[in-house]
Amino acid sequence: MSVFLPLIFLLTAASGTAVVLVRDPNRQIFAICANGLVLTILFTALQAPDVALSELAVGAAAVPLLFLVALMAVRAGKVERENGKGGDS
Amino acid sequence: MTWLPYAVAAWLLAAGLYGLASSRNLIHLVGCLSVCQSATYALLLGLGYRWGSIAPIFYDHPPGTPAVDPVMQALVLTDIVVGATLTALLLVLTVQIFKRTGTLDPEQLKPMRRRGDPAGADAPRSAEHPSR
Repeated sequence: MSVFLPLIFLLTAASGTAVVLVRDPNRQIFAICANGLVLTILFTALQAPDVALSELAVGAAAVPLLFLVALMAVRAGKVERENGKGGDS
Repeated sequence: MTWLPYAVAAWLLAAGLYGLASSRNLIHLVGCLSVCQSATYALLLGLGYRWGSIAPIFYDHPPGTPAVDPVMQALVLTDIVVGATLTALLLVLTVQIFKRTGTLDPEQLKPMRRRGDPAGADAPRSAEHPSR
């Protein structure tokens, strides 16, 4: 147990760094999801089961879905903009 | 190993700030902001943790058993909820910026552009102000 907790802390630092270093937003969603799962394990190891439950619901499911919806809206706007340009010219 | 949560929190905050400063995509920038917030989770829970104690749920333990600090856990719970709403708000603002300007790159956003100008309408402006 005394080795497990520092290991999870270091894993948290690594996954947070991965979220920053993955520059493509389509791939960053996977990094955010993994970061939420690692944070869930960290909260469970730190004796905070209620916080772990809400982090599992919010950080590993809801926030990546929000990012997906934003990317979908941006992509739809891009297609619409290109079609509008083609129709004008 | 009591310094480890603080070191991890400082590292996460530094990494998130580096991502915020060097990001070229607004959606990626919102993800970096959530990394900054996970630094506060590590800091608060590391403050309230005690070695060898139980979770603050006394259903099957007698009262008085050493437990971790439940106030910090309540703060982290509030932090998670506020972070989720902040992420949603910033993503909506990002989508609105894309609809208005057609780009997600912060370098290409010109904050002083007149409202309603299309993206490529710099030519009459430079005629008005030849110094630019």
